This record gives sequence, structure tokens and C-alpha cells, in this order.
Amino acid sequence: MTAKRLRVIALLAISMIFLLAWAFPIIWSVLNSLKTDSDVLAYPPKLFFSPTLEAYRDVLLGSGSILPNLLSSVIISVGTTVVTMLMAVPAAYALARLRFRGKKFAGFYVLATQMLPPVGIIIPYFLVLRNIGWIDTYQGIILIYLSFSLPFAIWLLVSYFEDIPFEMEEAAYLDGASRLKTLWRIIIPQVRGGIAVTVVFVFLNAWNEFLFAVVLSGNTVRPVTVAMFNFVSVEQTLWAKLAAVSVLAMLPVVVLGVVAQKHIVKGLTVGAVKGGGRR
Amino acid sequence: MTSSAVTSAGIASDAPRSDFGRVLEQRERRFAAALLAPAFLALLATTTFPLIFLVYTSTFRMDLAMPFTNGFVGFENYQVLLSDERFWSSLLVSLVYTGSTVAFQVVIGLALALLVMDMKRGQGWFRIIAILPVVLSPAVVGMIWRTFMLAPEFGIIDYLAINAGLGSKNWLGDPTLAMVSVIAIHTWQWTPFAFMVLLASLASLPEDIYEAARLDRASAWQRFRRITLPLLRPAIVMVIIMRTMVALTAFAAIFTVTGGGPGTATEILNLYAYRKSFTELSIGYGSALAVALLIVTIIISGILFAMRRAK
Repeated sequence: MTAKRLRVIALLAISMIFLLAWAFPIIWSVLNSLKTDSDVLAYPPKLFFSPTLEAYRDVLLGSGSILPNLLSSVIISVGTTVVTMLMAVPAAYALARLRFRGKKFAGFYVLATQMLPPVGIIIPYFLVLRNIGWIDTYQGIILIYLSFSLPFAIWLLVSYFEDIPFEMEEAAYLDGASRLKTLWRIIIPQVRGGIAVTVVFVFLNAWNEFLFAVVLSGNTVRPVTVAMFNFVSVEQTLWAKLAAVSVLAMLPVVVLGVVAQKHIVKGLTVGAVKGGGRR
Repeated sequence: MTSSAVTSAGIASDAPRSDFGRVLEQRERRFAAALLAPAFLALLATTTFPLIFLVYTSTFRMDLAMPFTNGFVGFENYQVLLSDERFWSSLLVSLVYTGSTVAFQVVIGLALALLVMDMKRGQGWFRIIAILPVVLSPAVVGMIWRTFMLAPEFGIIDYLAINAGLGSKNWLGDPTLAMVSVIAIHTWQWTPFAFMVLLASLASLPEDIYEAARLDRASAWQRFRRITLPLLRPAIVMVIIMRTMVALTAFAAIFTVTGGGPGTATEILNLYAYRKSFTELSIGYGSALAVALLIVTIIISGILFAMRRAK
């Protein structure tokens, strides 16, 4: 009996350690963002201190404010999400539901495009965008973000479209509705949940992207993940401000993640169990 | 009804030929083409075209710093690559990084999923906390670890090391420790992904098999070895495939933490291709490195997919 109890306590301790390990770096960044630089640098590290919003005031309202960068991130992420969904929803519907030659190949092609390493895309695209003057522009960055957001969105949406019963469509056709009308009125409302999950995933991926952003950004278009580097230089690190910027960069995705938590897990498993099992 | 069988299979092409006739079928094809066109044109433009252009540029000397030396060189970049020590070392770093991070993610993720599965209370906490690292930008994660976690003395990891009697370490300045650090950071961020997927798969396993096993007095280990593991195998292999692809092309978390350094200690092949192209501005050779990375990716995924089909 005691051995069993000991085991329960040990397992509880292990699980607590893992919970803490995952949460701590995030909590610690939040705490550091509320400190002064000298409190950040204190040894031993301070868990208790008098909190201040100075760092936030400086990075948001001070000179070199990161507000334009946050706006950049929002424009890029929303733009990518809108363009991706406009293209992915019809394509996913066709792949899941319609009959046409080369369908298998089309599905395989979508999966295969994900194999290409991002660095292999950005090298040629850098040359192309430089030639047409699209470096440091929103259209340039959003265009290249389609390379990873589109295959992912199509592939996730197909799994949702496949879950709708065929009878619904057939009934609509029999009533004389056109295909487009059926898609818009009958099918799309059925996959609202799937579309919402896909929107969340595409937004997260666009918000978090770094490699393309670091190559293509400039003075006009510079998302917060890239602008973060302003706070760490060889000469000095602006500790509290860096923490504040990190927290601001984390905030939208953490909120989205927690709100959509159940759906994210479902999306991941659709990808792992079903999506991977296709073809 | 026949269509219900079709629905459960979920494959539209098996749908029974309806009475709508050939005209409708042709109309369906045209409709499909119209729906697919925008997405496929975009995919062609953003993936297939760059691939072709990449292979093309890899046959050139294309040095942005010294444009006068530019020109067609055939396979010279690839010849240079084969005798380039930095290429082989970056390939080795890639393989070590990918192999170790994927192994850690699967082992820890699976162990934790088994542990949490048996918990009667508190599963919700794990689900909420586990989502946090996964949704973060690897660039932000790298920045947080580089500063608040790994900085000498006031960084928490170093503080813990000092208190454990190990003394303050130069976590990112020592080649071995830097490698350990970037592996730990990747493992920290992505183990929750493996955990969540495996937990969901565990939850979907049929309960009655375990009942039968319990009646047969199978031990916990036997149940794991003979029932859980075989049933979970497809999910585990899928996690391995997905995580391997990501680890091979990891960029932000290494770039922000070590930049590939010290020296080239943490420079994975992906990062080498980037540095060659955009820091040293040698685009032609950088393209050849990217092509090499693509070939490595294809070989490894080929092996993994063969593994999946093996049973």
C-alpha cells in the first residue's frame, strides 16, 4: 500500500516538473518584462520585486517604438490568412469531393511541395523579388508565405470536407441548385469549424515565420520577430525591453492557442493520424 | 443505400455513376479545374518554379559581393561541395540535431502521455500548458532561452547549475554545450506536440482489449509492449516523420540562439546554406547547398515512409 502511494507521489512530482518546465520560460519572460534592468540582472534571480510597466511604455511609446512592427506582423498574418483561405477552400473542396482525372496526382503534388526546404525557396525568390523591386513589400512576403500556408491549409481542409455526408450535396443538386451555390450554401456552412481551425493554424504560422521575414524585411516591412533583434546587440542588451517585446510577440499566439486549444489538438491529430494516412 | 458506404470510405471517385450523365461529368471536371486553378497556380509559382530556378542557379557562380566573377560553372559547385569540410560537418550537425531532438520528443512525449492518460484529475492542466510552447515563434523561444534562461549567472539554467554545484557554464560559448543547448531548446518547444498527438491517439484506443488483457493477468509492461505500442505505431511513426522534416529545416531557434556558432559547432546544413547565400553572398554555392539539403530530406523521408509501410 505504501509502495503504491509512493509511486503516485513520484508520478505526481514528475508531472509537476514537466508542467513547470514548459510554463516557466514563458512565466519568467512575463516577470522580467515587469522589472527594471537591474532587477533582471540581479543574482540570485528575483522572484519578488516591485513591478513596473516602464519597459512596456518604452517599447510601445518610446523612440524606436515597436508598434509599427506589431502592425507589420498583423498585416502580414491577416493578409496571408485571407489569401490562403480564398485559394485553399475551393481547392480542398475539389480534391475532397469532385471527380476529375489527375486527382491523385494533384493530392500528391500538394503533399510533395511541403518537402522543399524553405531555404531552397528563399534563395531563388530573393533574386526574383529583388529584380522586380518587391523586397521589403507586403505583397512579396505574403506571396512567398503561400508556399507553406497553402499546402498545409488545403491538406487540413480536405480532411474536414471528407467528413460531410454525400447525401447533402446530392439532395441540393436534385433540387436544381448549381454547383457553386451548393458549395457556398450547403457545404461551406458544414465545414465552418474546420475553416476556423485552419484560419488559426495559418495565422499562427504566418505570425511565427522567421526565415523568409529576415531575408525579405526592410525599413517598411519588418515583423516583430525580426525587430526583436534591435534589443540585443554586441554592445548591450536591453533586458527588460527585450522581455516586454517577447511578451508582446507571444501574446496573440498564446491567446489564440489557449482559446482554440481543443481544436488545435484535433487539427494536429487530423494531420498525424488521418492526413498522414492518406494515399 | 450505396452512398453511405461511399461516405464512410470518404473517397469521391468511388461514387456510383448517377443518372446525371456524361454532360454533368464533364461539367464537374470543368468546375474542379476552376476551383483548383488559383491554388495550384500559386503553388507552382511559389514552390515548383523556385525549385527549378534553384537548380539552375546552383550551376552558376553567383557572388553578389563580386559580380564580375559570375558565370556558368556547370557542376563545379557540387564538386566543391563534396570536398567542403564545412558541408560535411554541417550535415553531421544536422543529423545529430535531428536524430536526438526527434528521439527525445517521441520518448518523453510518449512517456508523459502514458502518465497523463492514467491521471484522474489534472489532465486539463497538461492540455493547456502543453499548447503554449507549440504556438510560440521559434525566434522568440530562441531569444528567451538565449537571454533569460542561459545567460551566465542570472539565467535560470545557469543559476540552477551553480546551485547544483556544477558551477557557472558558458552555455552558448562552448561548442559541446552550445549543441546541447540548441537540442534542449528544440526538445523543450516541440515535445508537447508529440505529447498531445500521442495522448489523443492513446485516448482513441479501444478499452475492451485492455480489459481482456487484465483478465488474462498481463503485466503493465506486457500490456504496453504487446497492445499499446503496436496500436500506437502508426501515430508514432507519423510523429517521427513530421518532426524529422521540421528538425531538418529548423532555422530560427538556432539562428537566434547561437547563429550556428561558436564557429560552426551548431551550424546545421540549413543554416549553412542560409549563411553562404545571405551572409557571404555566394548565392550559387548556397543554392547547391540547398539542393543538397533537399536531397538529404528526400532520402530520409524515403526511409521513414518505407518504415511506415513495413507493417
